[in-house]
Amino acid sequence: MFGYVRPFRGEMLVKEYEAYKAVYCGLCDALGKHYGRFSRFALSYDCTFYAILAMQIRSARLCAEKKCCTCNPLKKCTYLCPAEGDGSAAECYRKAAALCVIMTVYKLRDNMEDEGLLKRIDARFLHGLTKGAMKKASRDFPEMAEAVRKMTEDQRAAETAETVSVDRCAAPTAELLETLFTDLSTDGGERRVLGQLGYFLGRWVYLMDASDDLAKDVEQGRFNPFAERLGLAKYRGQALPEDVRKAAEAECNAVLNGTLARMGSAVSLLPGGQFTGILENILKLGLPEIQREILFLHVKEKRNGRSV
Amino acid sequence: MADPYKVLGVSSTASDEEVKDAYRALAKKYHPDQYADSPLKDLADEKMKEINEAYDTIVAQRRGRQNAGGYTYAGYSGASGSGGGSSFSDVRSYIASGRIADAEQILNGVPVENRNAEWYFLKGSVLYRRGWLEEAKDHFTRACQMDPGNGEYQAALNQAMNQRSGMYGGYNPNMGSMNTGGCNTCDLCQGMICADCCCECMGGDLIPCC
Repeated sequence: MFGYVRPFRGEMLVKEYEAYKAVYCGLCDALGKHYGRFSRFALSYDCTFYAILAMQIRSARLCAEKKCCTCNPLKKCTYLCPAEGDGSAAECYRKAAALCVIMTVYKLRDNMEDEGLLKRIDARFLHGLTKGAMKKASRDFPEMAEAVRKMTEDQRAAETAETVSVDRCAAPTAELLETLFTDLSTDGGERRVLGQLGYFLGRWVYLMDASDDLAKDVEQGRFNPFAERLGLAKYRGQALPEDVRKAAEAECNAVLNGTLARMGSAVSLLPGGQFTGILENILKLGLPEIQREILFLHVKEKRNGRSV
Repeated sequence: MADPYKVLGVSSTASDEEVKDAYRALAKKYHPDQYADSPLKDLADEKMKEINEAYDTIVAQRRGRQNAGGYTYAGYSGASGSGGGSSFSDVRSYIASGRIADAEQILNGVPVENRNAEWYFLKGSVLYRRGWLEEAKDHFTRACQMDPGNGEYQAALNQAMNQRSGMYGGYNPNMGSMNTGGCNTCDLCQGMICADCCCECMGGDLIPCC
């Protein structure tokens, strides 16, 4: 996962935002506790979303605690910790922490193979650090490790197939989240709702990442599922002309909209609970906002441009 | 039955108006139109039924009589395929009952030269159900090209295009992101200038300086 699944702060209640931050801190804490302090860098918005969804489904009981932040001892943070004697909340955190570790390790392995030299060395270094954590996480949740391994394998097959299909490339990530979300519940109806949510959220995440990288991938001659479909192969190795890029990104936006339209029906059917406001904010407002920031405002590029 | 106030998410002291608003918001959320072609339609229908019952109960309790009336939900007849004259009636019934893999197997067995507009439409429907939305759109487009007069194929393509436009979630760049109101400062000035022109035509004047 790639950090695209996050809330739209402008439309959040203050208490929701604080609860969100407290789960984020709680997950950081769980990572440190279960998988060693080096694994904390694997913390992501996506896995925070997964933790929140899991705790909503299991109606986990939580309590707020004020503690010093591990990264900045001068700062006091609120942590949402599992309430006394509630095993399900602790389990949710642990599962989300394991997911952070496993996803990050696979992402690093991917980077070691195809990014630039500096990034490759970077990835190798981090990969070495997470070896122990990975071993432990896969032992704790073997079916999760297996699902992620299968996803990477299927994705590689789809991306190297003779005719590239956007739908087929997005399917492995979609199916991974479908499996992960479905497993959160034992109720038949709920499992179907979660499965649909997972499939289209996973599809959205993969396609969002592909849309985000499209211009850069074409310029550097790397694989991108949209390149062939949108007829960008002829620009390989050069910067996309402004109008071509604009049209391509508008098309990506349409594909993402179509995906969110299918996800919406599942969002409304999610069981209610303490995190309903946060979940609806992320899924209904946060995701469209990311589309706007990345495809229309190019926030990321401007930020990178300044720092150079 | 569960507490009807809890179902609608209002307190039992809420005014009639508040109950009605909560009911309308929920009815909109779970309305069958939002779930046409969705595999979760049955769950939404169940939810809709629950909401209707809760609302009717509250209204009945408050009025002290059984027949509530008011804003009732008018039922929904599922989208029925055109049926008559279809060469793929078995595929259609598989799709309708959610047996997507079986439907796809039959479709894939049809030799390329026998693939007509209906084949492309049904294959598109199968892909759509599976979430392969791009290829679904391509197949619907092909079906419409082969049989331009067919309303069923056109409706499927229109739905796919509407979803891509951001009508049902997502981001629509032509609509100010979170601003759904229709009137901004620019519109106001434009309106004033138009009104001024009209006044001048009739011999009057609204903005004296232009």
